[in-house]
Amino acid sequence: MATKDSGADAFYLRYYIGHRGIFGHEFLEFEFRPDGKLRYANNSNYKNDTMIRKEAYVSPAVMAELRRIVTESEIMQEDDQQWPMPDRVGRQELEIVFNSEHISFTTSKIGSLAEITGTKDPDGLRTFYYLVQDLKCLVFSLIGLHFKIRPI
Amino acid sequence: MADTRDIIRITEDTEDDFEQVVGGGGGDEGVRLVKESAKSRKGRGFESEQDRDDTMEFDAVGIDDGDTAGPQRSVEGWILFVRNLHEETTEDDLMDKFNEYGEVKSLHLNLNRRTGYIKGYALVEFEHYKEASTAQNKLNGADLNGQRMQVDWAFTRGPSGGGGGGRKSRRQRDTKPQQRSERSRSR
Repeated sequence: MATKDSGADAFYLRYYIGHRGIFGHEFLEFEFRPDGKLRYANNSNYKNDTMIRKEAYVSPAVMAELRRIVTESEIMQEDDQQWPMPDRVGRQELEIVFNSEHISFTTSKIGSLAEITGTKDPDGLRTFYYLVQDLKCLVFSLIGLHFKIRPI
Repeated sequence: MADTRDIIRITEDTEDDFEQVVGGGGGDEGVRLVKESAKSRKGRGFESEQDRDDTMEFDAVGIDDGDTAGPQRSVEGWILFVRNLHEETTEDDLMDKFNEYGEVKSLHLNLNRRTGYIKGYALVEFEHYKEASTAQNKLNGADLNGQRMQVDWAFTRGPSGGGGGGRKSRRQRDTKPQQRSERSRSR
């Protein structure tokens, strides 16, 4: 397996969204490692001071679906050059290694699609926005069912 | 209380040095190799990266027994992962199929946020292993709305027999992958 990592099946994905405010560093982060390990961390200090950290190995079928979602999003063709910089309100990071390409994008939080309209690269941000929605949806289902928790 | 571990570190080091900074946890070697295998890099994230703390514990659902690779039980049952679903497939369609092999405890049929149709996959939970494994066997490749479903387990015990149970000890980061043949598991 390890020798194949340099070939066509290299894959890694990490997403982070968070901010630092009066409740400290609040964030959500998850990553899929090449060996199928899914790591999930959710830290919210609001009202209850809890840090959720979970990990599990997902099957090759889940990893294949994840690749399909990434491929169909066409995120690898985008670039974050024109995207809003992370700011006081928050920061998002999306890092993906797919085959021989490695992207590491950063931008501000996107509250809604309406916020995208006036920006310099609305199409790219829309691609990013929908991919993130789909990724979160998949991860919340996986983590939620495996551990029987309701991620926010 | 200063949250020192969360300080953003702007690194101007080389790529290699940065990888050392991230450090910690099982499987980092694999992550590093995959990142190094990339031939093109793109994005502002390479200029400033979070110094992530991987020394904290992650909860995992425990390994039941044995060293063999295979499906991993979830907290309340066994989860199947279904792919290649037709975009108009409904929860009822799936319930009809899977309920034949036991009571479906949970079903997630997630939507494509862009189109409003389903994304194409589903998660199906059974309470008992036997129900889930029979459903997996019988329904993998079965037709649903004109497409062949692919049915697999959602979770495994790990990449190479066992593993996956929480935290592994920190390995030497400069170990060459070729030298790190079969890990022996001490039990």
